[in-house]
Amino acid sequence: MNQPSIETRQVMVQRKGGLLKPFSVIQRYGLAVFSVSVALGLALLVDRYHVRDVEAPLFLFAIALTAWYAGAGPAALAFALSSAGFNYYFTEPYYTLYVTAFDLPYYIVFLLFAALIAWFSTVRRRVEQDLRQSRDDLEKEVTQRRVLNEELARRSDELQAINKELEAFAYSVSHDLRAPIRHISGFTELLQKNVATVVNDRGQRHMSMILESAKRMGNLIDDLLAFSRIGRAETHKTMVSLQQLVQEAQSELAQETEGRNINWKVGKLPACYGDRSMLRLVLVNLISNAVKFTRTRPQAEIEIGSTNHKPDQIVMFIKDNGVGFDMKYVNKLFGVFQRLHAPEAFEGTGIGLATVQRIVHRHGGRTWAEGALDKGATFYFSLSKSGERDL
Amino acid sequence: MSAFGRILLVEDDPKDVELTLTALDDYKLANEVVVARDGEEALDYLYCRGKFQTRSSDNPAVLLLDLKLPKVDGLEVLQQIKSDEKLKMIPVVVLTSSHEEKDMVTSYKLGVNAYVVKPVDFHEFVNAVKELGVFWAVINEPPPGSIKKN
Repeated sequence: MNQPSIETRQVMVQRKGGLLKPFSVIQRYGLAVFSVSVALGLALLVDRYHVRDVEAPLFLFAIALTAWYAGAGPAALAFALSSAGFNYYFTEPYYTLYVTAFDLPYYIVFLLFAALIAWFSTVRRRVEQDLRQSRDDLEKEVTQRRVLNEELARRSDELQAINKELEAFAYSVSHDLRAPIRHISGFTELLQKNVATVVNDRGQRHMSMILESAKRMGNLIDDLLAFSRIGRAETHKTMVSLQQLVQEAQSELAQETEGRNINWKVGKLPACYGDRSMLRLVLVNLISNAVKFTRTRPQAEIEIGSTNHKPDQIVMFIKDNGVGFDMKYVNKLFGVFQRLHAPEAFEGTGIGLATVQRIVHRHGGRTWAEGALDKGATFYFSLSKSGERDL
Repeated sequence: MSAFGRILLVEDDPKDVELTLTALDDYKLANEVVVARDGEEALDYLYCRGKFQTRSSDNPAVLLLDLKLPKVDGLEVLQQIKSDEKLKMIPVVVLTSSHEEKDMVTSYKLGVNAYVVKPVDFHEFVNAVKELGVFWAVINEPPPGSIKKN
């Protein structure tokens, strides 16, 4: 950073501080001449009344005053003028610039004193100006901080308003969008029942398509709402046994695994710090995906385990030998409503992995996947053991 | 529709009313239903005022209450009922589209007797409404002062 020179800083301080009036160069040097002249006049006046030895303190006072108020340059001028005046009027021989050997030590002591006082005053002045500068800088910083704080408060208010709006939106979606769907499916169903005998197969098929679409819309709305709720809900973190959660997830999926030939390989899983119901949802989603996409296999293999590469991190994986996916589309996997399979092959709204990712992110972790078409897929997520990072 | 129904259905959406009545009709309960189209009408019915001035002063056996209603909303109706000495015994079932936990918690705090989210699926909806109707209007023994079974 470019430090401004002392001189500019002085002027800056004088302008900004408001305590010192802005002095021009002429005023500052004028002060030197004026103060020395006054000192000289007073010295000559008291000399006339035969009061001796007051001239030196008077000159010194003039130098100090100049150094104090006008800075180093004028102080040097005051020093030069004072020494000249002192020499001319008060050292023998009088009214010359010569100094007798007798008066020389006296004159030299005067000069040294004058120089010392000028130096002291200048240094003090500089220190004070530096302090003033620091104070001004601090004031500026405080002002900046206040502005930033106000900005922050404003943003926070804005965010709160947006959040409220979002909540109202979700509420309205939950309440208002559901009703028409219920009516579509309800009345179509009634229609189907009442006109079964008069409508041909084509008509019947159309009615069941309407019903299917209404049902799908309902599922999409439900999933979207659940997804948005996960983003808004507060997390309640405790120590959670992943082993137990996997068991719970497996029993929750009992209906889907019934009659299937699945070879489960569940390794030893650690405990971690997190929101129990959210992590449970992560496991349910990932395991139900594994179950779903191995449906075409006569013998499904699902492996659930954890790897521990870093001391503070748990990496869980769920590996299956299902239909897999093309790594080309890996970046789409965790997107909302992204699906890599035809709906008639595998059902689902495409919100499951997005939910997984959102929950894992809220726990300060990361999700990723590996797979190949027809060669199975492995889904990973990391969690921090201490759960200190809460996003 | 009889004005002496044992089921008071508070619902503003005519389509929902029709679907609910259709569902209840399977158990021949439709005739027992009085429909109020908003919270004010529901309160008018309960307090026998306005167009319900002439009805017998017995309470309905159950009140099926939607939450999002014009004028006086469902939660206000619920609060009014549960803070009135004469009405607080009426079983109130909230029948709503709202999944929001906030609504559910508020309803229970106000003393609701049951909270049912209207299923989107028609079959589930019909089953839910039927079961509600049968349970509260037939199986459940209503509190004293309710309209007697015909």
